[in-house]
Amino acid sequence: MNDALKSFLEGLDGLAQDCESRKGQACSLKELEELRIEFLGRKGKLAKAMTELGALDNADKPAGGKKANEVKQRITELMDQMEAELTAAETGRVLSRFDPTMPGRKPWAGSLHPVTLVMQEITSVLAGLGFEYVAGPEVENDWHNFEALNIPPEHPARDMQDTLYVSDKIVLRTHTSGMQVRSMLKKQPPIAVIAPGKVYRRDSDLTHTPMFHQIEGLLVDRNVSMGDLRGTLTVFVRQIFGAGTNVRFRPSFFPFTEPSAEVDISCVMCGGKGHQKDGSPCRVCKGTGWVEILGCGMVDPNVFKCVGYDPEQYTGFAFGLGIERVAMLKYGIGDLRMFFENDVRFLEQFA
Amino acid sequence: MLVSLNWLREFVPYEGEVQALGDKLTMLGLELDGIVDPFAPVKDVVVGRVVECEEHPESDHLHVCTVDVGGPETLGIVCGAPNVAKGQTVPVAMVGTTMPDGLVIKKAKLRGVKSCGMICSERELGFSEDHEGIWVLGDDLKVGDKLVDALGLERVVFDFDITPNRADCLSILGFARETALAFDLPLTLPRLNLVESGGDVNEQITIRIDDPELCPLYNARIIRDVTTKKGPDWMRFKLLALGQRPISNIVDCTNYIMFELGQPLHSFDYDRIAGKTIRVAPASDGMKFTTLDGTERTLTGADLLIWDGDKPVGLAGVMGGLNSEMSAEARNVLLEAAVFRPGTIRKTARRLALPSDASYRFERGVDQVMNRFCIDRAAQLMSETSGGKVVAGVASNEPRPWKDRVHGYRHDRCMRLLGLDLEKDFAKRVFEGEGCAVDDTNPDNWSVSSPSHRLDLEREVDLYEEVGRVYGLDRIPAVLPKVAKALEGGVADSEYGFIRSIKLWGAGVGLNEAINYSFVGDEDLDRLQLPFDGRVHIANPLSEDQNVMRTHLAPGLLNTLKYNMAHGNGHIRVFEVAKRFFADAESETETRERLGLGILLYGPRHAADWPWGAADVDYLDIKGHVEHLVRNHLKLSEPEFELAKDHAFLEPCVEVRIDGALAGLVGKVKAEMADFYHARKDVWLAELDLDVLKGLSEAHAIRFAPLPVFPPSRRDVTVIGPATLTAGAIRKVIEGAGVDILESVELVAEYVPEGKQEERNLSFRLTYRSATKTLKDKQVDKEHQRVLEALQAKLPVHF
Repeated sequence: MNDALKSFLEGLDGLAQDCESRKGQACSLKELEELRIEFLGRKGKLAKAMTELGALDNADKPAGGKKANEVKQRITELMDQMEAELTAAETGRVLSRFDPTMPGRKPWAGSLHPVTLVMQEITSVLAGLGFEYVAGPEVENDWHNFEALNIPPEHPARDMQDTLYVSDKIVLRTHTSGMQVRSMLKKQPPIAVIAPGKVYRRDSDLTHTPMFHQIEGLLVDRNVSMGDLRGTLTVFVRQIFGAGTNVRFRPSFFPFTEPSAEVDISCVMCGGKGHQKDGSPCRVCKGTGWVEILGCGMVDPNVFKCVGYDPEQYTGFAFGLGIERVAMLKYGIGDLRMFFENDVRFLEQFA
Repeated sequence: MLVSLNWLREFVPYEGEVQALGDKLTMLGLELDGIVDPFAPVKDVVVGRVVECEEHPESDHLHVCTVDVGGPETLGIVCGAPNVAKGQTVPVAMVGTTMPDGLVIKKAKLRGVKSCGMICSERELGFSEDHEGIWVLGDDLKVGDKLVDALGLERVVFDFDITPNRADCLSILGFARETALAFDLPLTLPRLNLVESGGDVNEQITIRIDDPELCPLYNARIIRDVTTKKGPDWMRFKLLALGQRPISNIVDCTNYIMFELGQPLHSFDYDRIAGKTIRVAPASDGMKFTTLDGTERTLTGADLLIWDGDKPVGLAGVMGGLNSEMSAEARNVLLEAAVFRPGTIRKTARRLALPSDASYRFERGVDQVMNRFCIDRAAQLMSETSGGKVVAGVASNEPRPWKDRVHGYRHDRCMRLLGLDLEKDFAKRVFEGEGCAVDDTNPDNWSVSSPSHRLDLEREVDLYEEVGRVYGLDRIPAVLPKVAKALEGGVADSEYGFIRSIKLWGAGVGLNEAINYSFVGDEDLDRLQLPFDGRVHIANPLSEDQNVMRTHLAPGLLNTLKYNMAHGNGHIRVFEVAKRFFADAESETETRERLGLGILLYGPRHAADWPWGAADVDYLDIKGHVEHLVRNHLKLSEPEFELAKDHAFLEPCVEVRIDGALAGLVGKVKAEMADFYHARKDVWLAELDLDVLKGLSEAHAIRFAPLPVFPPSRRDVTVIGPATLTAGAIRKVIEGAGVDILESVELVAEYVPEGKQEERNLSFRLTYRSATKTLKDKQVDKEHQRVLEALQAKLPVHF
């Protein structure tokens, strides 16, 4: 091996060693770039070394070229390695500052009123059974609200609902039952409707607000029976309150149904046992194991006569329930008045 | 309705569990509200005997008594009653006993003498108003026994809720009938033992009835030479158990019969009845009459009166007159047992706000057939308790005798309605058990006559209810209805569906749904300077702040703001979907109801400053919600916002128009009004007419626009103009410049140069695009220049 070649090769080796020895020198990608230029740049050390390649004997050139490539590759490798390390270190540095526990940039959080939530749940169960929505006026005339529902003036049944009057003949509807009349006047059986909405009573205390929400259901056809009513309400109650809920029919009185019944469900708090785990009486059902939830019955023939249906041909059932009561049971809300105070801390709890 | 168990047992031999009786009757439709011990307040009082009674050495009226209460030692009790004496049997409240008024008896020293307990008066024990002295009991009572046991007082009283149809259950007798039916027990009426003592009542009183409709029956008896005094203990205790204060033997007898048999009675002082006549006739409008509570009442022609020969003496079925009241000195009683038209009694009692146990029963209906038994039994009790003599005979006028009501009964139909399959015999047993007469000659359609006490059995369907009720509605098998129902096509989204979608939008964009009462006070509307005309008022509001239906949602939402401010919630963003009400003579309900959406924003834009930055909501927030609802949710045309002048409560007030139709308002509540609601910052409101939006959205169909194929080219322009020049005006000129390739205009920056408050720079980004080719820069520049020229030509602006 001639000297020229030897010195060339040694020079290249030295270059590689030099590069290797300065491996830890670049502390940032910028410094690394400077290092890269120093070795691999157009006017860098490798390029400079390569100028000597042309001075070698032609016979040595292949060996010199080969070595040069090896060194270039080696330096490139080193550079890549350093870059990878630096990048990893950089990423690590960024990651180490990443705080996953910082509060998120939340969009505004809205909510639906609990009455709306319960109403929605109930209406969707009933709509699923095939009932259609109907809506009507909240300021109602006496005929739709009372007389057509078999509640003539001076009837003691009017005491069952303390009424807010606009005038002698106009009232704030005391129940959604007037929608039975309006629906039946509009079409002939079969008819299956639900009427959700606001109702009003002249009553305000711990357990009554002058406005509350009801949903009315009505089904009329030939041969509708009380068994159908029971079946419908059982399905409905179990979907709302759970599959294990028991339903009890208790005879009662409503002027627009005959027979009439109040429906109790097994208490959602104590599971119908009537007492809490410690043996003390359940405060929701007052120890009876049952909670009254809705009123219902078979449509009274007098109502059919008022809307021009033949009571000999058609039978039907109707039911009505108070939404706030269901919401109180479902969400464990103890104070009825909270529903209409609209404290945002209350509203925000429902979504 | 309170029902005493022992009294009930005089009619029906029920020996089962107390709770079981309540439960069974509940399932028969007589809902048990609770079981109470009426004498619980005196349950610890014992029977004692005064074994020594000496004068107190230091007092001229106190006595020092030694009382045997059955224990190993006697008690020393100082007693101030004038009537206390050695040997008396007396009620004693020992140390530790809580008296009905809440006082706890403690050891005491009275003028130097120790006293361990109290000898009680009737008033102290809540038995009467008698406070003349201590209550001296019968000597047959066992010393040391509890008073309640010694006197055999009722310990079990049921409280039942009676539905308006069950007038028959407003008496012990009614409950006895139901108990007998429920447990298959015999029913025994009290034995009548009326002794008449000569005379002829018809010579002493004549009954006249002007209108048989108003009074189908009036019976009267006369009892002479009565002595008014305290009623007998057994009667007083039974009335007390039902919460009825005993008054005198005469009044107690009428109350006793009312509670026992359900027939209200009235006692007149016979000697104050002029002309030996009772006449039942209406009052006249404006007439004055003083009832026995001493109140002068103004009557109407709809009120029914009891008159004597020359004046009214009682308000029929409601209250007697002061001028014919039984005084303590009265000697002769005219006893009334009548049947009045229920609606008439109800109307009078309601109008005069005079509900009584009597009117309550009359307005639900009383048993006309039972009437004679009631007056006879009442006369008997009155005679027995007062020493009076019953004049022979009943003065009776019955212009409308009771007619049996006969109804058809088709068992098959009944079974179909109830969803049951029962033997016919069951129905027959039910009817007969309830006192109906059943004629089943026609097996498919019986004739059933209902008894006079069951006024609610008026029709065939009422009989069905009885079958169901007695069998148990709870035993009806549940099935699901099979309804053949035509599927209806082309039904537009229901109002409910639209409301639901609006509510979901509200919750989705971060608003809390509020529900306020539909009524507010006139004051609330006045405060917002809303017009008085067109308001729908409530004639009988609970209070003046709930006397008018909302014409706007704003008052309710502002009340929500006020409530939250008072509770320390300063970050409010609520919405409400509700009706607004306007008087409308054309409507069958005299009211036009419009569905509205209200939004109220108040306080910081975000709950916490970080990471959003601190700023309060402003016009752009409330407007943005409206734009989002109209454009993004309902997909309607771009709404236009125009400043409106002189609005009642908003300033600024901006009208929202969609396709020319007024859809609502957006604005800031005037500061002086917001103050009232404790607002410390700007209150931004939007109120939209959902009926308008619903109409527009129903008419609107979504059309897909093909996506652009060629690239856009954008140019920004900063328009420098006076601060009074609106962004909308600039945009309108840009859009109106007639440049076809202008696709969209966006505002991208707003800048007010320092020290130049009267100037404003608005930067717009204009996007140009052709549907058919890629635009060249040169062409875009040319078109953009046209836009700039249009701006300069039409507006006082430069660039």
